[in-house]
Amino acid sequence: MTMLAGTIWQRELVEFAQRRRSLIIKLAFPLLVGIPLVFVAPPFYAASSLTMLIAIIGTLGAGAVLTRERQSGLTLRYRTLPVTPGRLLIERLSTSASIDLLQVTPVLVLIAVRHPSQFAWWPALLLCTTSVLLLGNLLGAVASTLSDSPGEVMLYVFIPLLPLLYLSGVFTPLSQPVLLVVSRLLPFSYLHQSLLGALAGQPNLLPWETLLGGFGFLVGAAGMTGRLGRRVTESD
Amino acid sequence: MKVNTASEPSLLAATGLTRSYRGGRGVFDITLNLAAGEVLGLMGPNGSGKSTLLRVLATAAAPTTGRVSWFGNPDPRLPSLRRRLGVMLDQAAHFDKMTGYQNAWFFARQFGLSSEVARDRLDELFRWSGLLEARDQLVGEYSLGMKRKLNLVEALVHRPSILLLDEPTLALDYRAELDLIERLQLLSLTGTAVLLATNDVHLAERICDRVIFLHCGRAIREGQVPELLTELAGSKEVQLQVNSPIALEGLRSLPAVEAANVDGDTVHIVLARGANPAQVLAVLNGTADLVSNMRVRRPNLGDLFLKLTGEALPVAR
Repeated sequence: MTMLAGTIWQRELVEFAQRRRSLIIKLAFPLLVGIPLVFVAPPFYAASSLTMLIAIIGTLGAGAVLTRERQSGLTLRYRTLPVTPGRLLIERLSTSASIDLLQVTPVLVLIAVRHPSQFAWWPALLLCTTSVLLLGNLLGAVASTLSDSPGEVMLYVFIPLLPLLYLSGVFTPLSQPVLLVVSRLLPFSYLHQSLLGALAGQPNLLPWETLLGGFGFLVGAAGMTGRLGRRVTESD
Repeated sequence: MKVNTASEPSLLAATGLTRSYRGGRGVFDITLNLAAGEVLGLMGPNGSGKSTLLRVLATAAAPTTGRVSWFGNPDPRLPSLRRRLGVMLDQAAHFDKMTGYQNAWFFARQFGLSSEVARDRLDELFRWSGLLEARDQLVGEYSLGMKRKLNLVEALVHRPSILLLDEPTLALDYRAELDLIERLQLLSLTGTAVLLATNDVHLAERICDRVIFLHCGRAIREGQVPELLTELAGSKEVQLQVNSPIALEGLRSLPAVEAANVDGDTVHIVLARGANPAQVLAVLNGTADLVSNMRVRRPNLGDLFLKLTGEALPVAR
């Protein structure tokens, strides 16, 4: 039976579900990377790698798709839909982030199975993962307006992403007070901390602090997505 | 009987509209009105600004300066306004990994149709467009003509008050073109305003009430089709098929020649009222073996464009 989609989020889901090969790859890839990290690697390295993986899944997916749509003329067609630019972008990016969350859910389940005693970190981990995925999608969407080439868009995504991950303490533990303050202003640090906690490592923050940080960035990401609707959907 | 639109307010109005791009391209200082039931043609060669203008009027691009209003409202982002527009842009863009029916369903529902209404109208439009058998095929496997037909289905399904169509007959077979003309004439009779961007002189003459000629982004002439054709009454167009390039200066210097231009291997010459085509051949005396074919016919809107700009409209098919 044909799946019919009448809304923007339904359409994203139908297209995702219909692309079988892509679906399998998208679900299997994080799991293949996650199994050795969760079961074998030391918690700090596992948390670092998984933070990067989640950030990259969030940014690259949206950036590449939106660039392709710009090239094919679909962006122009979206502009003629009877939907405000803010709502259009929120609907698209939240669906894309949900699909990304579905991709990384098996890894999160693996973490829970491997370290069941760390359940206090699970809500924070889920919230921080969601906020990083949504912010990543937003970053990818903004990057897609800078170029018509998917390769260039990847570059525009990585240029800010790598320093931000460093400043979040993902690559090396931060000791300088200034850098510590900066890291608290970045969403990746909360995801890294929640992963460290859930993987039985030694995080600097408490679960509720991480939960609060993740929640704040999720609300901020949703607000920014609405605000950037015109910038992303109406730029040529 | 066609709805009389003379006293009705414009459904679509643009004043001093400019949309410019880097490099100097775009459309400049366009003023136009479109009334209910009217069919307006935008004609001009490639790069004249037809698609740019249509994108602005379709709310897909914002004007750089100037004012546009749809149904009296200047806010192009208003969902209730966009629901009354049916748009077919120059690119036949679709979700390629979805079927034709899934694509059309998505757009039908986006434009506010209920499931029942969408199903009924899509069944009718897929049958009308000849896409019924291909409705469950992925759009990525469609030919260009099929994609353009699907665009038409999507533009028509919600029965918009204004139809904005960019080259609607491009890549359509003759049967589909006739069906489209018939449908547009019917829609116009029931009050739908239609704006067509086209190079197809025959399409424009057949269904447009009025045309605007665009050249280098500017409106150089506007008028009712019969009035414009009257300007050419009595004159003739001579088409010479040539084997090798010929100098046009000699032809253009003839008092009988109003305009001359080359399009591929065809030389288009617009002769003044009462002029004899033999005068053209006289100029080519001695080089007659250059000409492999000669045709004299009644001039059309394309000839008027040639007369005004010295540039020929591309052949539509």
